[in-house]
Amino acid sequence: MSVRLSPRPLSLAAAFRELEDPTLGGVVLFAGRVRADPTPQGPVLALVYEAHTAPALAALRALEVEARRRFGAGRTVAWHRVGRVPVGEVAVIVGAACGHRSEAFAATRFLIDRLKRTVPVWKEERARSVRPPRRPRRRPPAR
Amino acid sequence: MTPTGTNRRGPARGDGRARLLLFATARTAVGARTLSWPVPAEGATVGEVLAGLARAHPSVAPILPHCRYFLDNEAVGVNARVRPDSELAIHPPYGGG
Repeated sequence: MSVRLSPRPLSLAAAFRELEDPTLGGVVLFAGRVRADPTPQGPVLALVYEAHTAPALAALRALEVEARRRFGAGRTVAWHRVGRVPVGEVAVIVGAACGHRSEAFAATRFLIDRLKRTVPVWKEERARSVRPPRRPRRRPPAR
Repeated sequence: MTPTGTNRRGPARGDGRARLLLFATARTAVGARTLSWPVPAEGATVGEVLAGLARAHPSVAPILPHCRYFLDNEAVGVNARVRPDSELAIHPPYGGG
């Protein structure tokens, strides 16, 4: 069971290692990346994530407990970035290792769906601003 | 009570201030990440604090019904008691992932 709120990049390889267990044959990882969605100010360049840390970590732990109870997940990860995350970088990783694939898929789906609804994390878009054309600088009036 | 004032009798002994933590749209509406909020010594309900906040910052009023509330990091309802030195966090709908 591993939960994390991290200002640093998240590693899928590290998440996969968290799920290692020779008795668990079905392993599913989900990664959510920041998209370059269009906005009136231009395409999104990054998302800035903010969390209320203590309740967010408690909510992530509760999710993992529930994933174990419902789906028999032997190991789980639920990691979220905080701070500025540029387009293309991973903002969230969840995953589960179970005895078989069907429970692993179901547990991972449960983790990401519930995370979005119940973990106190918010995001704000940072888009490329469309600059107005430069105006020539006025000279100060001569004295 | 108001965020900066006292009641008519003046501040009673033991009156104090709670800390309001505002996130996302609630922070934007209020224009501050934290507020120091006066509460009487016997405390005030979350609902009373929110009503005062909505009076002081009308733009946050439509957001509050959609929020969740955490008192000292525990999820609470509007009848929970905010006491001096409590921290009340206001959570608009979440947007992680």
